Amino acid sequence: MKLLHNDYFQLALRLIMGGLFLYAGIGKITIPLDFAASVYNYKLLPDELIGPIATAIPWIEVLSGFCLLMGLYTKGGALAISGLLAMFIAILIISLARGLDVECGCFSGVERKVGFLAILEDLVMLASALFIVSFDRVKLTPCAFLIGMNKP
Amino acid sequence: MKKLSTLIPKKTTFGSAFKQCLLLVSLACLLGWTLNYSLLMKSFGSELRIEIQKKQLADLKAKAEQVSPDIRFIDLVSAKKLFDERQAIFLDARSPKENAEGSISGSIGISLMSVVKREVDIKKVIPDRGAVIVTYCSGGECDVGVEMAKELVNRGYASVFVLGEGYPGWSDAGYPVFKPKGGAASR
Repeated sequence: MKLLHNDYFQLALRLIMGGLFLYAGIGKITIPLDFAASVYNYKLLPDELIGPIATAIPWIEVLSGFCLLMGLYTKGGALAISGLLAMFIAILIISLARGLDVECGCFSGVERKVGFLAILEDLVMLASALFIVSFDRVKLTPCAFLIGMNKP
Repeated sequence: MKKLSTLIPKKTTFGSAFKQCLLLVSLACLLGWTLNYSLLMKSFGSELRIEIQKKQLADLKAKAEQVSPDIRFIDLVSAKKLFDERQAIFLDARSPKENAEGSISGSIGISLMSVVKREVDIKKVIPDRGAVIVTYCSGGECDVGVEMAKELVNRGYASVFVLGEGYPGWSDAGYPVFKPKGGAASR
């Protein structure tokens, strides 16, 4: 339990989560039609909502990932990521129950089908994001370093 | 430096975290929608869906070429002609669950997995190796139709085609479908 309160452990978690979401978001932003196709494949949204959702989600991932990396609005970023992950998990469970055999669209350029492994991965990331939300105080950030607030 | 320090609150309550989250989501929507304005507009007609389907079909054809050069695609109109003339056997390669939601009228539902795992002996179901077979799944987004075609070609079937548009394309064209759950075949 001591590890959970360790500044360096929290920093590592923040960097991993931030990096993952920044990478995931940039991949989707560069080829927007691919991500729109992934959203379409789930067959959960009317055609009119595919564009708005498929163009907004990657930017939420990028901005939240950037916030986690930089330690700015960290909790807000982690909360946005938690919301996204909760939504992804629900969508994956529904798709699995419907027997859909489609690409999960989790990371651009990575061929992964909807399945239990994808759900498990998202659950682990959700736990990490919620843990970041519960940090007492965000330390060891580049901005805090600049103003000398990085003393644990 | 003082201004910068205000960005790093000593303690962030859930309320302020929620406000930060809302700000990030709003900014993301603004950026995403502004930078992808044309894609957004296409979404309000059926243009985006058509573009996605075309791209998926092109990707599927490219993938099929890599899988086996013997796999041929058939368009909806030609498939319908074969259907009307009863010259082809239509094979639904999707899962039984998907098949139960609706299939091409008169097609045989054999999932790819059941063939790969040899739970179904395809030779018993289709003994004639010269029969014209049209495999399909859920359109460009799935590849089990192509994989099924590959299995059939490997097992010596000579005339195997893939209906790239799949069941959704067939159904959208208003061609005959069978819906076991709905109880009635349409058209």
